[in-house]
Amino acid sequence: MLTRLKGGRIYDPENGDDGEVRDLYLRNGRIVEAPADPREAKEVIDISGRVVMSGAIDIHTHIGGGKVNIGRMMLPEDHATDLVAANRHPHLGCGHAAPSTRTAGYRYAEMGYVACFEPAMLAGNARQAHMELADTPMVDKGAYVLLGNDDYLLRALAAKRDPEYLRDYVAWTLNASQALAIKVVNPGGINAFKFNQRKLDLDEKNAGYGITPRQILTALADSVRALGLAHPLHVHGCNLGVPGNVETTLDTIRGLEGLRAHLTHVQFHSYGTEGDQKFSSGAARIAEAVNAAPNVSLDVGQIMFGRTITESGDSMRQYAGSAFADPKKWVGMDIECEAGCGVVPFRYKDRNFVNALQWAIGLEMFLLVDDPWRIFLTTDHPNGAPFTSYPHLIRLLMDRSFRRDMLATINPEAQAATTLGAIDREYSLYEIAIMTRAAPARSLGLKGFGSLAPGARAHITVYKDQANREKMFAKPEYVFKDGQLIVRNGRVVEEVHGATHVVHPDYDTAIERDLDTYFDRYMTVRKDNLRVTDDEVRDDGRGELVVHPTKRST
Amino acid sequence: MPSLTVSKGSTDKPAPTSAVCPFCALLCDDLALNQRPDASFTVARHGCRRAAAGYARAPLASEALIGGRSAPLDEAIGVAAKLLKRARQPLFGGLATDVDGIRACVNLAERCNAILDHVHGDALASMSRMLQGRGWYATTLSEVRNRADLVVVIDVDVSQRYENFKRRCLDARPAPGNAPGKGREVVFIGAGKRAPEALGADTTLSCRSENLVEVLLALLATLRGHRLAARRPAGSAASALADLAGKLREARYATFVFTPAALAEHREPAMAAIGDLVDELNRTTRAAMLALGGDDGGQSAVNTCAWLSGFPLRVGFGQTLQYEPQAFATRALLDGGAIDALLWIDAFGEQATPPPDAPLDRTVMLASSRPSVAAQCGVFIPVGTPGLDHFARLVRADSVVTLPLLQQRDSGLPSVAGVLTRILEKY
Repeated sequence: MLTRLKGGRIYDPENGDDGEVRDLYLRNGRIVEAPADPREAKEVIDISGRVVMSGAIDIHTHIGGGKVNIGRMMLPEDHATDLVAANRHPHLGCGHAAPSTRTAGYRYAEMGYVACFEPAMLAGNARQAHMELADTPMVDKGAYVLLGNDDYLLRALAAKRDPEYLRDYVAWTLNASQALAIKVVNPGGINAFKFNQRKLDLDEKNAGYGITPRQILTALADSVRALGLAHPLHVHGCNLGVPGNVETTLDTIRGLEGLRAHLTHVQFHSYGTEGDQKFSSGAARIAEAVNAAPNVSLDVGQIMFGRTITESGDSMRQYAGSAFADPKKWVGMDIECEAGCGVVPFRYKDRNFVNALQWAIGLEMFLLVDDPWRIFLTTDHPNGAPFTSYPHLIRLLMDRSFRRDMLATINPEAQAATTLGAIDREYSLYEIAIMTRAAPARSLGLKGFGSLAPGARAHITVYKDQANREKMFAKPEYVFKDGQLIVRNGRVVEEVHGATHVVHPDYDTAIERDLDTYFDRYMTVRKDNLRVTDDEVRDDGRGELVVHPTKRST
Repeated sequence: MPSLTVSKGSTDKPAPTSAVCPFCALLCDDLALNQRPDASFTVARHGCRRAAAGYARAPLASEALIGGRSAPLDEAIGVAAKLLKRARQPLFGGLATDVDGIRACVNLAERCNAILDHVHGDALASMSRMLQGRGWYATTLSEVRNRADLVVVIDVDVSQRYENFKRRCLDARPAPGNAPGKGREVVFIGAGKRAPEALGADTTLSCRSENLVEVLLALLATLRGHRLAARRPAGSAASALADLAGKLREARYATFVFTPAALAEHREPAMAAIGDLVDELNRTTRAAMLALGGDDGGQSAVNTCAWLSGFPLRVGFGQTLQYEPQAFATRALLDGGAIDALLWIDAFGEQATPPPDAPLDRTVMLASSRPSVAAQCGVFIPVGTPGLDHFARLVRADSVVTLPLLQQRDSGLPSVAGVLTRILEKY
């Protein structure tokens, strides 16, 4: 059936549409060319005056896997005040900062999101992560697999194995864990913490292997380039949260020497040591470096005031952060000679100097990085704030006077320490469409996403144009996923199950023999049992597997 | 929700060169099986007593029963649906099943307004309370195997409960690179001679179970540099405690291994003390704990229920979710007469039967072995064993690795997920 969405104002940066009034036609889940006679459309929905964008994409949100589930189990108090009533969604659920899988899927859809990416999947935990993603309805999904703290890679680097060997290992890991991209967290630092190192700078050697974070970053970024993955190496750098880490981040950018990388939740990596409290904003310096480095993209990891929980693979830094747990409980883990994690509940307080300045630093970053194609809207859910705060964040970016009003309410010393009040920039609808739709789709290589051109998947969000952008973005009037109406006036009307996006780059199978030997000798699980099969991801037909091309596969 | 089945002839599945054992939460994945004429198995390699007993069971050759009378599966499913539909407050107990079984339980519980608890619910709830009260620093099997130079096993006969833990984690050689320099020392804290011998413990700190918490707290005080007033705190020599404290301080990676279920009535204070010991050590060196538990699909039930509902079992489904970690214990519900129907699941055939005071005539039982109470149940439905009769996924004791368990025989027995999905369709 042909459906016509009539009279909307189209914000489609992928195709240069900046508010042009034009009809959209949908058929069989795709956007199609306008027919010669508009009356061919059997269904016509009048959306005159409405703001129309493609479906939104969250490039970095912790929604599935072991540490996310620890967060859920740890915080019944988070759920008790946020129980979803039976008549609200197709299934029960709960949770503010640590929602159940189904609730997360419904809420994302109700904000106009059609795809979400779990950025920290362990190969050893990949099966569980995929089962949780399979139980996250409404949205398409995918995951980035962690490398760079696994003993296998560090041993290979210490043994000076050639780059081709490392690429084979990276490719095997992507296949086995059904991942879309590679993420590195505190390169070598999580492993170093197991050897009782408490910090690891970019050029400091891991005590176990004598390898530096810089070597790991370069090796992985090279592998990602050689394999031809669409998404660059996803980097959670060294020294997260440490005052002065702005230098580490600048060093990291320089150290890439032109290799592509995505720096994630960069707000947490942009701290100076100036001022009485030895804590200051490094946002301007990072933004300047990013503006000059076209090989680098970033997402912000904006914090919002209130209760949340921090869930990270960075056991080293989470251990340090556990002193600030609120309430006073936290979990750390060393995991399978591969990774680690730290789960620490936290409350960001607007009266606290450091928290208030963190808030300002994130906003400075958004406003000082020039190119919206290289900066994505995230709160590093739930680490900076739950994803449900995105509409509020969009208002902060689009509405200068609202931003200044909010700034006036935070810790006064933090107000004095930020340049935020002097920044006039306001994001346009076009720029919001870039940073939440077109740019993440390009960065992840998601063909058919982030675009409203004929041929694109019919992922469409329709908003009532309201001066209050928070209200506007919190409750789209219509959300279509693959041409199907799934949300009406901010409420799920149809439960759907999205696809899982992966890459399957080819590799020399000789690596499998080495891995078999290694796993059989040293690990407590056989290599082949880590492998998540295509059938499992499809979950008996409930989900679809979309395999994206790489340089080493089609 | 249909269960995931092994499609015959699919090239997508790894070849079943070695089997993953479903009969405890270690989920050893290096077993070799030989099939016997009755479709049971002998374990040719890397078995243990529990594996041998589990694999020796032939698939259940029983029809479904309605009030003790043989009945076709379809009819039994229909009666089960009616029984659950009539109930005001059903409990889904036992829950000894795989991830897909729990997924199906949650979906059905939403329709029946049921409460979920597991046959090992008390020990699992203690872990949840520790998580919700203080948290912990934990480790996993491969980390213990490769990194732990000092393993303190607390009051559990690992050889009885988790026989292969010794082979896989204590005896195995660590990978070069993270090898502890001076080898691995194993210390046993607890009662008796058998357990430390079977474990191959290098040192034993002998203490009776009722003194365990006091000994752990005395060890903690010693670690913190406090002088103990008593020369023999809880019957242990202060010098032995000081020796162990010294070893812990010097260890590069100490691991405390315990079994929540075995700690019995001292469980929660003992676990809190273990958590404190680990935290104290992590101030200067590295340490972690490893809880061995979650058998009979317990780890899978907790995790799956948590991601689907937000709560780790003992959750009730209704207009909203309700989490009552004490009031929704199977025992408390039965004592309070709060339950008017029971769905009881024992897919591993470990004879995890309903408590004797359960309302058997209003019980739907799904099991892979036939207990004596089967004929007294309102409905009894035979099901397959996960990983023997159908493909299954189970979460390991350390709550990190989820193993795929390939089908090993063609018994035609349905999975729990399959049966519950059909009950839901009839509901």
